[in-house]
Amino acid sequence: MPVWLREHSWRQTLTAVYLSLPLRGARATPANIFCGEQYLKVSIPPFLFEAVLYAPIDDTNSAAKIGNGNIFFTLYKKEPAMWDSLTLANADKEKLQYLRENAVLKAHEKAKEETEAKKITKQEHKKYALEATMKVEEAERKRIEDLKERERQKVAKELELWKNQGKDGDKYKSIQKKGELHHEIEQLKDGKREKMNKTRIPNEGTSKTRLKSTKGRVSCSIFSQNLREEQLPAPRAAATIKVNFTPRVFPTALRESRVAEEEEWLHKQAEARRIINSDLSELEDLKEEEKNPDWLKDKGNKMFAMGNYLGAVNAYNLAVRLNNKLPLLFLNRAACHLKLRNLHKAIEDSSKALELLTPPVPDNESARVKAHVRRGTAFCQLELYTEGLQDYEAALKIDPKNKNIEKDAEKIRHLIQGTMQSS
Amino acid sequence: AAAGPERPQVVSHIQQALSYTVFDCKWVPRSARLLCLGSAARGTGLVQLYELHGARLELLREIEKPKPIKCGTFGATSLQQRYLATGDFDGNLNIWNLEAPEIPVYSVKGHKEIINSIDGVGGLGIGEGAPEIVTGSRDGTVKVWDPRQNDTPVANMEPVQGESKRDCWTVAFGNAYNQEERVVCAGYDNGDIKLFDLKTMSLRWETNIKNGVCSVEFDRKDINMNKLVATSLEGKFHVFDMRTQHPTKGFASVSEKAQKSTIWQVRHLPQNRDIFMTSGGSGSLHLWKYEYPAQRSKKDSEGSEMGVAGSVSLLQNVTLSTQPISSLDWSPDKKGLCVCGAFDQTVRVLIVTKLNKI
Repeated sequence: MPVWLREHSWRQTLTAVYLSLPLRGARATPANIFCGEQYLKVSIPPFLFEAVLYAPIDDTNSAAKIGNGNIFFTLYKKEPAMWDSLTLANADKEKLQYLRENAVLKAHEKAKEETEAKKITKQEHKKYALEATMKVEEAERKRIEDLKERERQKVAKELELWKNQGKDGDKYKSIQKKGELHHEIEQLKDGKREKMNKTRIPNEGTSKTRLKSTKGRVSCSIFSQNLREEQLPAPRAAATIKVNFTPRVFPTALRESRVAEEEEWLHKQAEARRIINSDLSELEDLKEEEKNPDWLKDKGNKMFAMGNYLGAVNAYNLAVRLNNKLPLLFLNRAACHLKLRNLHKAIEDSSKALELLTPPVPDNESARVKAHVRRGTAFCQLELYTEGLQDYEAALKIDPKNKNIEKDAEKIRHLIQGTMQSS
Repeated sequence: AAAGPERPQVVSHIQQALSYTVFDCKWVPRSARLLCLGSAARGTGLVQLYELHGARLELLREIEKPKPIKCGTFGATSLQQRYLATGDFDGNLNIWNLEAPEIPVYSVKGHKEIINSIDGVGGLGIGEGAPEIVTGSRDGTVKVWDPRQNDTPVANMEPVQGESKRDCWTVAFGNAYNQEERVVCAGYDNGDIKLFDLKTMSLRWETNIKNGVCSVEFDRKDINMNKLVATSLEGKFHVFDMRTQHPTKGFASVSEKAQKSTIWQVRHLPQNRDIFMTSGGSGSLHLWKYEYPAQRSKKDSEGSEMGVAGSVSLLQNVTLSTQPISSLDWSPDKKGLCVCGAFDQTVRVLIVTKLNKI
């Protein structure tokens, strides 16, 4: 239950009411005071003071002063009249309640209106500020545009001037030149008749027409130009310079920002070509590089080049065990077998290589030609000439410009015809 | 760098919309005329001759050829003749008399694939020595031609037998200060830059700048080689000081990363060899000035001379288009006047002001 504060004292004038409320030691802040049009409340828990005023007051202009343990209200009456008492004496509970609530509602509304008004003024201020800045920027831009325009016009004028100067200069020069040229032609005709060859005369003709054309020229006379030609060195002796390029796998241009991506791609490709057949138990003894089919292939190639065909075959065998999807391994192993005269094995390997080299595209042309040639050679050495010829003709189909294959194919044809005739 | 109002300004004077893709644009020497070379939609080549007329370009002549044209130069022709040498998509090198363009004055199927870049030296009253044209092609070869010799090049820089080829994207002549000396610099798509000496017919220097080389140019063709600018993909360019060659380290260089996108072209101002403009894939142009170091060469620990690179400062930049500006040419007659062609099918005539104050 709140403690009512009742020891208030008041006095009034025609227009105002002065109310003094002692606080009995409680401290008051503006939040504790609630004032409506006809209702006044001070609530400092547990203290409570409320008054339903005799008549409405102007609550916006009224004031409350807090100090000295006292609140001093200055309330301005809406209508100047003397009040019989501070509060409505004969107010019943309901009316009081109603007034109270009304006051609260009104206060709320007022508060809302105030915030609305504040918002609106704020927006207007913003708009104004924006417009002002826009104007300033516009002015600045215009100033710069004007400067630029002036510059442009100045420069355009200069250009016209330069152009016209050029034209006039040329006209004047051409008139001069015509005179000079005629004079020179006379002189030179007399002096250099022997030296003049047929080509000079058409030159004279064209030079006259050229002078009449509108194209500008500075030029020396044609004769001094021809003299200059004699002073020009002869065309250079033709030569070729061989060029090596910084190696690059990709056909696209080099960009720094893509280098990392490209490295990664290459790395992944290399990884993919490594161990496809995982026979891990046997492979554990191998050294790291020996597990790489590409490395083994290179080893095999080197040994082939040195003549160590058995070694090469071993290398290729191991590589095949690691990755039996690389056609080049079979191709090269076929070559080794040919040298070792393991003709059946050579045929097997060439066939396997050809199988792996599908689809037949321009990229694996050279590989397929080699495969056919090797198989063909093996067939011929086994005296299966028709099969051999088939392979040679397939090779020729892929690479019709290869003379060696053509020659060999011819030889085989003769052989076949020879055996047919003799049988 | 120069203060704000004193900086050179790039003023866009004329913009001309074209109905074809323009690959190269060149000023006709000693005139207010320019050429646009390119490819029409139906796959033929076009050469258009324009003249400056007030605030617009007037089309004087249009020549159509069977194959799209990629590049052209006046570098090897005399001032009187002003024949245009062009390289086309089929690998043909042709020299045209623009007054009578039906039949070329010189024609050769120089390469198996598109000629990406062309340069000429010995003409226009600049320098001495034989007039020569160099072409670089996607077939990986760089060939030097003399218009007086038909069918065969006077120099051929080709890949070693069995070597896979790389695209040659750009070529430039340099060091042509007397009748004998001449070098060709070539840039390739794998980042290689190679310097070929034509007097000794050998490779004089090579390096790799880690990005495909889009454009190389010496600051002057007709002097003892001074500076070489090479631009590349990924927005970088390198300026090499070509006066001092170290036996192992080659030439000193400074590099700059200017834009996020490819730098398509570099062109030095004909009237001032330390100022050059780069054009970028983002449609922007950057104007640069090179400053020499206090000493251009110093001795290394073993006593050999090595070059010292200077520094590059940005004078101005401007964005003109949303598409790459693929070609750029300064007028040799009017300082600051330049033309550029972009892949938005527009050719623009620009004027760069205040270059006298640099």
